Amino acid sequence: MALFKRVIDWIDVRIGARDLAQKQVGDYLLPRNINVWYSMGSILLFIFVMQIVTGILLLIYYVPDADKAFKSVTYIMNEVPFGWLIRMCHAVGSNMMVLVLLLHMFSVLFMGSYKGPRELNWVTGFILLTLVQGISLTGYLLPWSQLSFWATTVATNSANAIPVVGHYLVEFLRGGKLVGPATLGRFFALHVAVIPLAIGALVGLHLFLLERIGVSTPPFGLKETKNSWQGKEFRYEGHPGGIRFFPNYALQDLTSIAIYFACFLGVVFFDPYLFFPRDAFLPANAFVTPAHIKPEWYFLANYQTLKIFPNELIGLTVQGAAMTFLALLPFIDRGPERHPLKRPVFMVCTLGGILLWLGLTVWGHYS
Amino acid sequence: MDTVGRRKFLGLCLGGVATGALAAIIYPLFRYLAPRPVDGSADKVVIQLKDVPDGEAKFFEFAGASAVLVNKRGGGLVALSAVCTHLGCIVQWEKDKQDFLCPCHGGHYTPDGAVVSGPPPKPLTKLPFTVANGAITIG
Ligand code: HEM
Ligand code: FES
Repeated sequence: MALFKRVIDWIDVRIGARDLAQKQVGDYLLPRNINVWYSMGSILLFIFVMQIVTGILLLIYYVPDADKAFKSVTYIMNEVPFGWLIRMCHAVGSNMMVLVLLLHMFSVLFMGSYKGPRELNWVTGFILLTLVQGISLTGYLLPWSQLSFWATTVATNSANAIPVVGHYLVEFLRGGKLVGPATLGRFFALHVAVIPLAIGALVGLHLFLLERIGVSTPPFGLKETKNSWQGKEFRYEGHPGGIRFFPNYALQDLTSIAIYFACFLGVVFFDPYLFFPRDAFLPANAFVTPAHIKPEWYFLANYQTLKIFPNELIGLTVQGAAMTFLALLPFIDRGPERHPLKRPVFMVCTLGGILLWLGLTVWGHYS
Repeated sequence: MDTVGRRKFLGLCLGGVATGALAAIIYPLFRYLAPRPVDGSADKVVIQLKDVPDGEAKFFEFAGASAVLVNKRGGGLVALSAVCTHLGCIVQWEKDKQDFLCPCHGGHYTPDGAVVSGPPPKPLTKLPFTVANGAITIG
């Protein structure tokens, strides 16, 4: 302990580490009415780190070659000690990440935290959502199972509906006319290098913005719930008299992470194949399309939308429009009110939107 | 005194749980990364005598490492480990000179594995073998 203190002292007199830590976490004040939903971001950070660690471990045995990928994954599952654990953590973690991401978004939506001056926080968050979708989609192909192969075939095919460039785009995505070894090469590079780096950079930006602007005050338990920022000049939202991030809110973050981790391990140990349909256990076969090929649960609504519309272009346009609307939400909804119960139009639209998404997901699942 | 005791107890419990959790992470991680036992490389290798003409050497895998069988010019078989005793490179057979050269730092060995020159500190390890009906069994 004494040695530890001496090391810290040594560093401290050189770079002022204690002072920095005190300023950044000890004197970092949060609104007194802060709630548990503000810990979703920390859970996401935790999941992101878990995905990186388990991903690097999988790289040790995984072989990104169309002839060997499935075998190498089977080897990890059946031969390597605890390989199943590492793989299951990575696969289940990817699904949980999307789930927590949605919770984070919903909480930001309902508390109106995306409103000015936090538009950029929302926009970077939205880009993170698309990147997480991208990393899931590219990761799905890597085991080179029947599921991987055909889900990717269908997903890349939908770009065909785009006029003029559609055909070329599909070939470009696949690196050939059909999904094949060339597709695996590019998806592998995207999944393990390009998208993780992009996510890392955007998380950095997301947190930088949070740090500069200050955490929002939740609209609950206050008389005045209107957004007080006039948009005229930069203002840091400190919270004089608020609660400290460390140790107070850090404990909430840890509690939330622990609860998340318990749920996560519950799935990993008691229902590991929750997210694995049968076709995930058969090696890819370019000549046999399995019946009922479906995407992951969080793409089911997109899948069903494409199915409902007789014309693929319309289906794709509707989705593009919905995503654009979501991305630009802070610039569309600019009213100052932040309390959900005082925003009836917003509430109806958001709840309607969530129900629509859930409905399409369930429909997609059973169709 | 009472609160100090409680504090200590809780601290111990927390430390114990943390240690347990750490062990539950480190053990699988270690097992995952630990080298797998080599399978497939038999502990006995059979080589036909006609495959090793006079003055030639034949390299093969033995017990997970490289080995060599020499048919010395003028008669006599030797089985050796082909791993140089200096820093572990694989020695080469020089047919014209009838000796082993290690390409890494220029160690030389006789066909029997004795050091002639260079940095190797020890002779190459001899491997036991038997000969029966024109077949050599090493191991
Ligand atoms: C990899 C994914 C993400 C990570 C790691 C992440 C992380 C975080 C963290 C640590 C915070 C601060 C604490 C909190 O309010 O939770 C935060 C705040 C925020 N995030 Fe995210 N986030 C992610 C994705 C998203 C997405 C998809 C959106 C919405 C489209 C979003 C919108 C916001 C907004 C508006 C805030 C500010 C909240 C406030 O100050 O009250 N984030 N994020
Ligand atoms: S390793 Fe053979 S001479 Fe150095």
